[in-house]
Amino acid sequence: MDGLTEMLKGTLEGCVLEIIGSEETYGYAITRRLNELGFADVVEGTVYTILLRLEKNGLVQVTKRPSGLGPPRKFYALNDAGREELATFWAKWEYITSRIDKLKEGGR
Amino acid sequence: MGIQDIIEGKRQWRAHMARVKALPRDYQIVYKEIQRYLFKVGPIDLLDGSLLSGILDFFEEGAASGKGVLELIGDDVAAFCDDLIKDSRTFADIYQESIRGEPGTAEK
Amino acid sequence: MSFWDTITGNDLTREWKAFEARAEALPADYRAAWEEIKGHLFPYGDFTGRNLMPILDGALGLLEETAVDGQSIHEVLGDDIGGFCAALAGGEGARSYRDRWREQLNRNVARKLGRPGG
Repeated sequence: MDGLTEMLKGTLEGCVLEIIGSEETYGYAITRRLNELGFADVVEGTVYTILLRLEKNGLVQVTKRPSGLGPPRKFYALNDAGREELATFWAKWEYITSRIDKLKEGGR
Repeated sequence: MGIQDIIEGKRQWRAHMARVKALPRDYQIVYKEIQRYLFKVGPIDLLDGSLLSGILDFFEEGAASGKGVLELIGDDVAAFCDDLIKDSRTFADIYQESIRGEPGTAEK
Repeated sequence: MSFWDTITGNDLTREWKAFEARAEALPADYRAAWEEIKGHLFPYGDFTGRNLMPILDGALGLLEETAVDGQSIHEVLGDDIGGFCAALAGGEGARSYRDRWREQLNRNVARKLGRPGG
């Protein structure tokens, strides 16, 4: 689907947290996962800025590992603060979607 | 405060720019424009040096994978930059706080 | 105490000298622009100087990098150096300047990469 960028903005960080939460991974793999999921507009640069923020906010553990070709790759795993943040994200998500669903169904 | 470090780190700076020169042409162009923009906006993250070297690491990785630079970060380079420094205060912020004499209150 | 006293009277002297040494290495038109930038930033109210140093450092870095590329100083700073400096310091009009810098960035990238829409 096109034109998702604006709407996705606030939730992408949560998506990245979720992906990292399921296994330690790196930027390109995260981007590909999001693309496969149907978010075709997400580029590596977007994921990079998110990872940078997660790192700065102390939510991830970063390990540099050599890669087959090119410079070493940064791998990301969630730490405790990151797992907490992820839980908060899903709680907020539940809240928002439940409210919006209600609106759509015309309920009060 | 870091400025001495920047000046005394002139050699480090040259090494940094040499790495830029080693990038493919499209990456070089975009890197330089980004750097220019960041110098103007003045995020305090510039001082610890990791902001610029991080972008460079990221670009080197992207170039090694054979992607074009806009494929990596998207067409809207300015949006990429603003995402990069979203949480960072700027020197201008700090300066404005200092003339108002209200540290910490000048943030948006 | 004036800004100048503050600058010359304490530990900022060394940083300041280093700035001037860097400015010396710039081409003439860039050096002139540096003088003008300083002139615009100094009268910025009552300050100790320290908080202005990183802003000056950024401006100088910008001049250095663009000089190396042989860009015209006009292209870098535009017509209104006063406005540019106010924006650097986060003063009035900073927001619209930032929008302008943003557009300039994308335009330059498009032009230099030889893509349409620049």
